[in-house]
Amino acid sequence: MPVVDLELVKNLYKTPGAARLPVDVAPRFKAGDAVVARNINPPGHTRLPRYIRDKKGVIENDLGVFHLPDSRAAGTGDQAQHMYTVRFDAREVWGVEAPANDSLRITLWDDYMNPA
Amino acid sequence: MNSIHDMGGMHGLGPLDPSDDEIVFHAAWEGRTMALARAMMAGKHFNLDEYRYAMERIDPARYLQFSYYERWLEGTLNLLMEKGVITQQEFDAQLSKLSKADS
Amino acid sequence: MSSDASDGADAKTALRVRALESLLLEKGLIETDAIEELVDMFENRLGPWNGAKVVARAWTDPAFKQRLLQDGTAALAEMGFDTIQGEEMVIVENSPGVHNVIVCTLCSCFPWAVLGLPPVWYKSAPYRAEAARDPRGVLREFGTEIDGDTEVRVWDSNAELRYMVLPERPAGSDNMDAAALAELVTRDSMIGVSKVAPP
Repeated sequence: MPVVDLELVKNLYKTPGAARLPVDVAPRFKAGDAVVARNINPPGHTRLPRYIRDKKGVIENDLGVFHLPDSRAAGTGDQAQHMYTVRFDAREVWGVEAPANDSLRITLWDDYMNPA
Repeated sequence: MNSIHDMGGMHGLGPLDPSDDEIVFHAAWEGRTMALARAMMAGKHFNLDEYRYAMERIDPARYLQFSYYERWLEGTLNLLMEKGVITQQEFDAQLSKLSKADS
Repeated sequence: MSSDASDGADAKTALRVRALESLLLEKGLIETDAIEELVDMFENRLGPWNGAKVVARAWTDPAFKQRLLQDGTAALAEMGFDTIQGEEMVIVENSPGVHNVIVCTLCSCFPWAVLGLPPVWYKSAPYRAEAARDPRGVLREFGTEIDGDTEVRVWDSNAELRYMVLPERPAGSDNMDAAALAELVTRDSMIGVSKVAPP
């Protein structure tokens, strides 16, 4: 492990875009696709919050390839996947009391979705 | 994991206080805590995802009682001990050494 | 901290932090000047004045605004604002029919590079819990009313992407230059819980 010295720290914030993985992976979805967030309940780390599970949304755009947080948190190595901005109607997520116009956007990885 | 950190949509977590809007540390230890956590990530002792997971595993009652930076400290300590970077014994010994030096 | 009890708890926590830092130093894992550099960065160099400059430039430089909305990370780097751990920046624009608001329901992800450290309320349980489900109610707590015809768009920040809102330029600011405009832009308007008030 590197000693955390001044030089290392100064370089920390000079790495824009370093979270992106430079690998070529086929996307499972494309902009405009109807998707449903998977209903998973893993005991480990996930960035798929409960409120969005089983809800239907639409892929707004493909953000490119990133690591899946679930596996990196578990220490089981990087899984390179496409990440997408996904749009959900507020009513789909929160029910009829939510305003019809409103919406929510969240980032979902390939593993977090099925085709709707 | 389905725990208290996954708060989106919950009710009853208290009133929102928009006036509570400090943007810097209210005590010096908060800044040190954040810096130490960032430093340990920079030193590759753990990654950000492991770190988030460590905070998610804090007992839910304590999670809610802790301030933001107390949570950071707890997550850092737990993870460094899990990874074997420090041990509980070493940490306890350091604490008592510093308490004695202070008194 | 106001009460004696919380001062006591604070002192105890401060001691734990000192114990951790000194232990890591003794083990040769960190150097003090690196820790001080990190504290200085968070305390003094990162703050909403950076985001305000970005907003003011976007209001006055249409080509920049286009680049900013297309690739936030690159446009910010152009202005000298780098992100911290490789995360990317996405800038979302408010317009007469769309009002954006940002939250992180799972932790407290925040666009540090442009807004500095998050305010206490942003990290608080009620904001994280309520902002996604009832953004209009939360905005009302900040004195912000969004009309029914406008779409409120919540962005739940759950990945290594950080969002910043590009607020609407207020009426009556036509004759102001970028420096004067930047003075008008508040942190809260770039999170989306308020609008930029007219000068």
